Amino acid sequence: MSQANPIQGQALVEYKVDRVLDETNTDTKIVVLARQDGQPDAFPIWVGAAEGHAIKLALDTTLTPRPMSHDLIKSFVEHLNVTVRRVIIGDVKNSTYYATVYLENHGVERTVDARPSDAISLALRTHAPVYITQDVLARRNTTNLDSWLAKLDHKSVNQQEVKES
Amino acid sequence: MITQMHLKGLMFDPYNNAYIVVLRDEEGQDMLPIWVGKSEAGAISMALENVAPPRPMTHDFMKSILDAYDAKVISVVITDLNENTYFAKIHLMYEDSEYTVDARPSDAIALALRSNAPVFAKETVLNKQSSEELEQWLENLKPEDFGKLDS
Repeated sequence: MSQANPIQGQALVEYKVDRVLDETNTDTKIVVLARQDGQPDAFPIWVGAAEGHAIKLALDTTLTPRPMSHDLIKSFVEHLNVTVRRVIIGDVKNSTYYATVYLENHGVERTVDARPSDAISLALRTHAPVYITQDVLARRNTTNLDSWLAKLDHKSVNQQEVKES
Repeated sequence: MITQMHLKGLMFDPYNNAYIVVLRDEEGQDMLPIWVGKSEAGAISMALENVAPPRPMTHDFMKSILDAYDAKVISVVITDLNENTYFAKIHLMYEDSEYTVDARPSDAIALALRSNAPVFAKETVLNKQSSEELEQWLENLKPEDFGKLDS
């Protein structure tokens, strides 16, 4: 929940959700974030099937007959007059990414700890920017992501290297 | 009129490859089954079994946001069940005002459990649910079927 900002003063790089890929061999999806400052970079995050689906729905702006869980969160935020300012993926421990959601209501800022999937799902629905800290970018698994992503497109990847849990 | 309901358990429905959340009133006269998806069932099961996941799950995150601004869930009301579309209302108290938010019953129940808020059902919903097929279904259930969830 609310906490001192542990990542203040760190350089942030904006990313946007580029696509959500099916990981055919496991019950997971891969959310691919694309760097927004001109440098080509894709940042993949493994998420659960339901979490990936929630992101995909927002990415495609699919209207569902009933509000999905993150639509409900958005609805709460709107009722409370809270603005989602930004989402920062600010830590990685044991291959698990940590996100912080920055909220604001009449000048009162609060931060909420979240899994990246929930944070990204909400950010897409509230048009809030998503950032990754330089620290996380430097510490991520540096396997050859390009060839790896190319393989993904052929649906032949069966290895999980980074997993959000 | 509304009746307070208690969560009696969760079970797997192999015919529909879905889960059933079973709500029951205090006297055990009215039973309200709600079919939900796997991840929704998981969210309810975790709260039911008081499992603390290593990272906040979606409804924990939802509650954290409400907590961050001192918004309280007062109650949840299951207002309608229509074909496959289920309706619930979440009643929130925030800065001395009450807000009513539309939700799926699965989200509403998952949040109510985490907020220790009561769950009610409208009488019209309970009346709709007295089908014979259901009674049969439930008669065949063993106590062990309740409260279990493979995920």
